[in-house]
Amino acid sequence: MANLEVPKELREEAKAHDMYLHPIDKDTYELFFGPQHMATENFSIILKMDGNRVEKAIVNPGFLHRGFEKLAEQRPYFTNIALLLRICVPESDVPENIYSMAVDEIVGWEVPDRAIWIRNVVLEMARMAAWMFWIMGFGNEIGLYTAGQWAAAYRERFMRLFEELTGGRVYHIYTVPGGVRRDIPGDRWLRQLRDTVEYLKGKLKDFDEILFDNYIMFERTEGVGVMDKKFALKHAVTGPNLRAVGVPYDVRKDDPYYLYDQLDFEVPVLKEGDSLARVLVRRYEMEQDLYILEQLLDMGPPSGPYMVQDARLKALPRFKPPAGEAYAHVESTKGDFGAFVVSDGTHKPYRVHVRGPSQSHGVTVLEELLKGARLADVPVILKTLDNCPPDIDR
Amino acid sequence: MDMNEKPKVEEKVQEEATMEEKPTLPNTKEGKLVKALLEKAPYAQGEVIRERRVKFTVPADRIHEFLELASETFEMLMQISVVDWLKEGQFEVTYQLWSVSESVHAFVKTRIPRDGAKLPTVMDIWPVAETYEREAHEFFGIIFEGNPRLGPFILEPREYEKHPLRKDFNMLSYVKAIYGEDFDRYDESKTNYVI
Repeated sequence: MANLEVPKELREEAKAHDMYLHPIDKDTYELFFGPQHMATENFSIILKMDGNRVEKAIVNPGFLHRGFEKLAEQRPYFTNIALLLRICVPESDVPENIYSMAVDEIVGWEVPDRAIWIRNVVLEMARMAAWMFWIMGFGNEIGLYTAGQWAAAYRERFMRLFEELTGGRVYHIYTVPGGVRRDIPGDRWLRQLRDTVEYLKGKLKDFDEILFDNYIMFERTEGVGVMDKKFALKHAVTGPNLRAVGVPYDVRKDDPYYLYDQLDFEVPVLKEGDSLARVLVRRYEMEQDLYILEQLLDMGPPSGPYMVQDARLKALPRFKPPAGEAYAHVESTKGDFGAFVVSDGTHKPYRVHVRGPSQSHGVTVLEELLKGARLADVPVILKTLDNCPPDIDR
Repeated sequence: MDMNEKPKVEEKVQEEATMEEKPTLPNTKEGKLVKALLEKAPYAQGEVIRERRVKFTVPADRIHEFLELASETFEMLMQISVVDWLKEGQFEVTYQLWSVSESVHAFVKTRIPRDGAKLPTVMDIWPVAETYEREAHEFFGIIFEGNPRLGPFILEPREYEKHPLRKDFNMLSYVKAIYGEDFDRYDESKTNYVI
């Protein structure tokens, strides 16, 4: 048994936890994590393990739908909405909005006030629905399934509202260049939305008790996957992950779009940069999103058209914007989501390049943070970074 | 007379455009930022597009130098976009930067020939460039000198050398070649195919 010895680090950890380790081979081994693993969502990581510890991680994307950017070059402008929204499934309104905003800028359209209000409400609803989806995944990762099941049920309330507004539950195809596809169903829908917001405000306390203020959650996330401010900036980490290291960057405040410069909300910032900080930043943001929705509902939809008045919209497949380019970005639950659209004056976009936030924190950052983590922490780091694989392989 | 007058007007407009090669920068946050950067890098051209959007055009051989200067103000590299201008035989590479401190988004553009496209890596400035460069290399075939991980990333190895986002890559005929008779819906004689 000469060549079989327990690494010193492992031995010490086992001793600290009153455990007796059997001798294991000191050689490392390779572990394929995903794409079928529940935690990874069509995403694979090749781990080089030393006992229980990750020595090296290699991200291996490409198991998902591909070629949206190429397909977008072969379709007319308005048809692309139905394609690009599939980039981020839990938050499908974000790709719709960034693409529409970029095309609006190229054409030079002033979107009517009513459409802007509706788009803003839809984006915030999408954020809430995506948070619920995230709780579902994260709760499952650390073994608190009840929270996940509650969240899935609460998400259903938003899905129903979306269905009444747009006709679709998950994929909405609602925000189009120039405005939105149709008007709000009526005052009843607005009342239902207000009821849902009120309901969820009460339910956040329940989530605190079962998930965010839970001993298990603290044990599993505190000090796991720590990054510092400089590292995060150099790796272009955005969204809640960046705010968890102490940088108050939020697209809604720093590059305001729609009505956000008229709304009153806070950008939660924590400094620790570990998984716990990332989870708590998200918890505070849920509260802010509900507050934003409340303010928008108090404001009420402005009267007027919901679509820009333009004669060119009558012949949609042959609609030609002028040559030009634009970059638009919004704050999604994953981070800074952007679209770069180039037009050459024909009826199809010349190039659409989508900047998914997971492109930065799902590849290089994940590989760095996984170094030295325990195997059980791999899903926790993955979920607290909120990695969305379709952002990477578009 | 009308027909004769029109070209004259156009000529005048063109003359004016060539006269004003260096448009004056507005006295705003963005204008000052562009001016400060152009003083350090006189080889580049810069302009303000609108509020919180600026644009720089840099020759390809000095792109690394310029980005190193720019990284002092622009902390984050948001993405590297490549546009294939097939008729001109050029790739337009756009480095999109975001300044957290100033809240300004910058496009840094450079053009390189399509054949044997090469650029220096900017991994030493922003480590995240590794991912963006791998993607640009795989889909367009641009070689980023100094990036150790250029190779199959998202695509399968058999697709790796094809560079599918180039404009001269025919997606339908590639699928036909790979899947053969299984893909019987595609008719090559049809023009303006709707997928």
